[in-house]
Amino acid sequence: MVDFGDNRPNPDDILEDLSADSVNKKGRLEIFFGYAAGVGKTYAMLDDAQEQMKCGVDVLVGYIEQHTRPETIQLMGDLPMLAPKIVEYRNMQLKEFDLDAALKRKPELILVDELAHTNAPGMRNKKRYQDIEELLNAGIDVFTTVNVQHIESLNDIVEKITLVNVQETIPDYIFNNADKIKLIDIEPEELLIRFASGKVYRQERTEKALENFFTKENLRLLREIAMRKVANRISYDNQNEPRLSPKMANIKLLVCVGASPFSAKCIRWTERTAEAFQAPWTAVYVETMESEQLTDQEKQNLRENLVLAERLGAEIVTLNGSDVATVIAEYAKLSGITNIVIGKSRTPKTVFSLFKTSLEDRLIGMLSSIEVHIIPGNTLHHRPAQYRKQRRRLGRNLSFSRTDALKTAAILIAATLFSLVIHNLGIGTPNIIMVYLLSVLVVSRMTMGYVYGVAASVLSVLVFNFFFTVPYYTFHAIQKDYPVTFFIMLIVALITSALTVRIKTQARFAVERAHRTEILYEINKKLLASNDLEGTVRLVNEYLVKIFGRSAILYTQDPFASLAETFRQSPLEPDSAFLLSEDERAVAHWVFMNKKSAGTGSDTLMGARAFYMPIVSQSHVLGVIGLSCTNGKLSQDSRLFLRVIASQIEIALERHHLSNEQRRVTIEAEKEKMRSNLLRAISHDLRTPLTGILGASSTILENGDFLDAETRKTLLLNIQDESQWLIRMVENLLSVTRISDGPMKVTKTPEAAEEIIAEAVSRIHKWFSNWKISVKVPDELLMVPMEGTLIEQVIINLIENAIKHSPEDSVIRVEATKKGRNAVFEISDDGSGISELEFPYLFEAYVPDEKRSADTARGMGIGLSICKSIVNAHHGKMEAVNKKSGGAVFRFILPLEEGENNGQ
Amino acid sequence: MDNKPVILIVEDEEGIANFISAVLKANEYKIIKTDKGKEAIAMTASYSPDLVLLDLGLPDMDGVDVLKTIRAWSAIPIIVVSARGHEREKVEALDLGADDYITKPFGTSELLARIRTGLRHSQKNSDVNSAEIKKITVGELEIDYDKRLVSISGEPVHLTPIEYKIIVLLSRHIGKVLTHDFIIKEVWGPYTNEIQALRVNMANIRRKLEKNPAAPRYIVTHVGVGYRMVEELD
Repeated sequence: MVDFGDNRPNPDDILEDLSADSVNKKGRLEIFFGYAAGVGKTYAMLDDAQEQMKCGVDVLVGYIEQHTRPETIQLMGDLPMLAPKIVEYRNMQLKEFDLDAALKRKPELILVDELAHTNAPGMRNKKRYQDIEELLNAGIDVFTTVNVQHIESLNDIVEKITLVNVQETIPDYIFNNADKIKLIDIEPEELLIRFASGKVYRQERTEKALENFFTKENLRLLREIAMRKVANRISYDNQNEPRLSPKMANIKLLVCVGASPFSAKCIRWTERTAEAFQAPWTAVYVETMESEQLTDQEKQNLRENLVLAERLGAEIVTLNGSDVATVIAEYAKLSGITNIVIGKSRTPKTVFSLFKTSLEDRLIGMLSSIEVHIIPGNTLHHRPAQYRKQRRRLGRNLSFSRTDALKTAAILIAATLFSLVIHNLGIGTPNIIMVYLLSVLVVSRMTMGYVYGVAASVLSVLVFNFFFTVPYYTFHAIQKDYPVTFFIMLIVALITSALTVRIKTQARFAVERAHRTEILYEINKKLLASNDLEGTVRLVNEYLVKIFGRSAILYTQDPFASLAETFRQSPLEPDSAFLLSEDERAVAHWVFMNKKSAGTGSDTLMGARAFYMPIVSQSHVLGVIGLSCTNGKLSQDSRLFLRVIASQIEIALERHHLSNEQRRVTIEAEKEKMRSNLLRAISHDLRTPLTGILGASSTILENGDFLDAETRKTLLLNIQDESQWLIRMVENLLSVTRISDGPMKVTKTPEAAEEIIAEAVSRIHKWFSNWKISVKVPDELLMVPMEGTLIEQVIINLIENAIKHSPEDSVIRVEATKKGRNAVFEISDDGSGISELEFPYLFEAYVPDEKRSADTARGMGIGLSICKSIVNAHHGKMEAVNKKSGGAVFRFILPLEEGENNGQ
Repeated sequence: MDNKPVILIVEDEEGIANFISAVLKANEYKIIKTDKGKEAIAMTASYSPDLVLLDLGLPDMDGVDVLKTIRAWSAIPIIVVSARGHEREKVEALDLGADDYITKPFGTSELLARIRTGLRHSQKNSDVNSAEIKKITVGELEIDYDKRLVSISGEPVHLTPIEYKIIVLLSRHIGKVLTHDFIIKEVWGPYTNEIQALRVNMANIRRKLEKNPAAPRYIVTHVGVGYRMVEELD
């Protein structure tokens, strides 16, 4: 029957929502924070865990450091403990936290010591905090411990105080986003006593640690930093509502990032300042001509700096231009930057630096309203490295290219020959100088780097001196003004070559930039034009392969939930079918679940052979992009570009999701409308026979004795007739519920048309024996793909309709024929035919009352409309016409295209 | 003591049970009734009725399980009562050994006819071995097993071996619905799915036996279930 309860929220749905909520619920992170080892973080953590366990929480000790003090171990008591994972590394057995076992065990609360720990190579994640993020995402609460020196943004300050470089750091957002920070504090004096008695480290390590780190002075400072960090957090927590003055809120910081390792210091400084002001900040790297000549080490530094900035929460921007100051000034003006942070090395003044205005001076000159902060760099540390780099860079610039050298030589020889010719023709030396300048220009244009331009400049002066100044063919010059000429010529040649090279580089940058913009525009345009998900996905893959020259894979669903990914092989790579392997799918699944990039070149699942990036839209993941890394890691630049593309894809996918949603809502509304129309029609139709049955039966019950046999029989017959009508109606309704889920639900199997007709006729014959039904089927067996019981219902309804409209003893003809690729079923009668008034509403379930024909004896109600829906669900056609000789013909046509199998 | 046949009605709808027992009593049958599957099994064992009328939708257990349990130790005729649209249920019941089925809603004459057929079958089975029957006649159709001859109005009908096999199978179980699967297994052997071949053969048989293949008299179709050879013409 019709489902009346559909408007109410389905309890199953609610339950599902609830469980979905609990799945999505993130775990709570509680950090036990101390200023040094030995303050009692682990102890406090275990103490709290015991408390929790008493309250009935399912607690699991995930990992506790090995140097744990006996008192602490005692405190563990009966807390269940997870066995550590043993990892073999360089013949050492390392014990690591077993993340997968923890996720599988899924306790309510897990204890994992040492948040800043770096995992042994071969583990899924590089850092333990990534493990913990996964635990939180899985909805597990986590207790962990960390010391102040491990906080990324405080790293350099701590280093300065203690002179110990701490390698293991955690990004600040982990700390800032923690649900609870518990500061564990004791007096430094007490800590030192603890330390001396060997409670902190085991005896053999004590000596070394003491010297470096555990001085009273250090501990006091560290304690202060830790307390201040926690205090900052408290004040931040208090500012739940933005009570910042608009001026404060408007602060926007920009930090200039370079390839120098000391940029990291500037980045950290900016992060701390930004945090203090609650201001957004941007890390800018300007790509200039020199970027081309960076050594691999410098490129690596730059990449690390940008990654650091990103991890600390900066927006990363890469700009192109030849002049750093101008580019930064332009960008700062456009994006409303209020403060610029630049680092300045204390390089000793040289003669050259006299001529060069420093970057900060130029910025201040260009931006009157922007504050510029200068962070001094530590030259002491980096001097030798700098020197080495410079030498290497020089070497790179002097790199010898035979073709370029040949080009230079050829151009200079040509210039000399030409000059000799015009010299012989008696044209003056100024013109010869011009020819040489031109040749220098051509050389700079046609070769790479400054070297050949400079060489050509010097050579052309020498050659000019040799060939064209008196005395000829010597390097002597008689005329006094020749040295001046040579000098000016050299300067002009040098400047020309420098300018040309610069223009060339800029042109290349411009082309590259234009190319990217063009690609983005193109993608954007095409994505907007594509209307189906499939097309979008294909398009995206095509572009990914084209832009990056790598094989690409795109998942638009959880890679584990479905196998609907699209893969595209790049012609530039060997077979990349490994992207489809189970291992790679697992990486993509991880990315999908954790909303973070992973794979080659990232910090997570580095063993994967591709790089994966999630497409995230407002907290939920729409898909995952994977790029094969057979030909090396993706550069920082490519990753940034990939992110831009990902955001375009996100918009497109989001659009599809929305339009799908829209379509679903429309269909749902349509269905709802149909359902209520049907209900109205049914209740209208059911009332009549029920009234009849009720009336007749109560008449017999109440007045049975006064009725003569004839009347009683008539009344009983009425009851029988009406009941039979009701039964037929109910069977019709059953058919409707079977097809109301949409045409896809009809299960077609080939059926013999004659068998279906025969059964329909025999059934209708039981009810209406006064009408003759003549049946005709073709001699050849006609097999029609259909759902037999539904088509039988159609035939029954049509015969019943014919009977209703024709006099008793008349003949109803049922005929099935094969016409081309269709089977045609015809039911005709010699009755009254269809009235003009009825035609438009013949197959409508619900006819507005005023349009309903006066002929209420029709009584077919929804019968014909059901016929039509059934035939439509079979992709057939239904029609009705009046015969010229009187009577009506109802015809339906079913396609034969599947399982056509006639006769033998 | 009277020799009235005993019919066990297993039906949980009181209205229907009442009407069935009224009809059957009026037609000289003895009635026992239950609305629970477990009781039905117990009563079959203790009363050993001549026929069971089993509704498949019971409150305490699945009617199909009742059928299986009874069939495990008794060959008593069982007629299954099922609703229209549940063709798969009917096929399952028939394959599990039900003798016949009747579709709700049904008329009294139809019910009585089915019960008569069911009772006759069980008597036949107990009286004579069905293999000893030499000849069968329905209306103008005559099947002579010894001569391997099928004739209609005295005229012999030419049948292919498969067609003959099918007709013999249907006539050996005359009055009973044979499911598609059962016929296929008997004629073509197990592990085959010759449903199309069966349909084609049936169409040919119909054209050879019936005057109008679209209004068959001897072999009727049960859409979605199977075929039945009728015992007596209407």
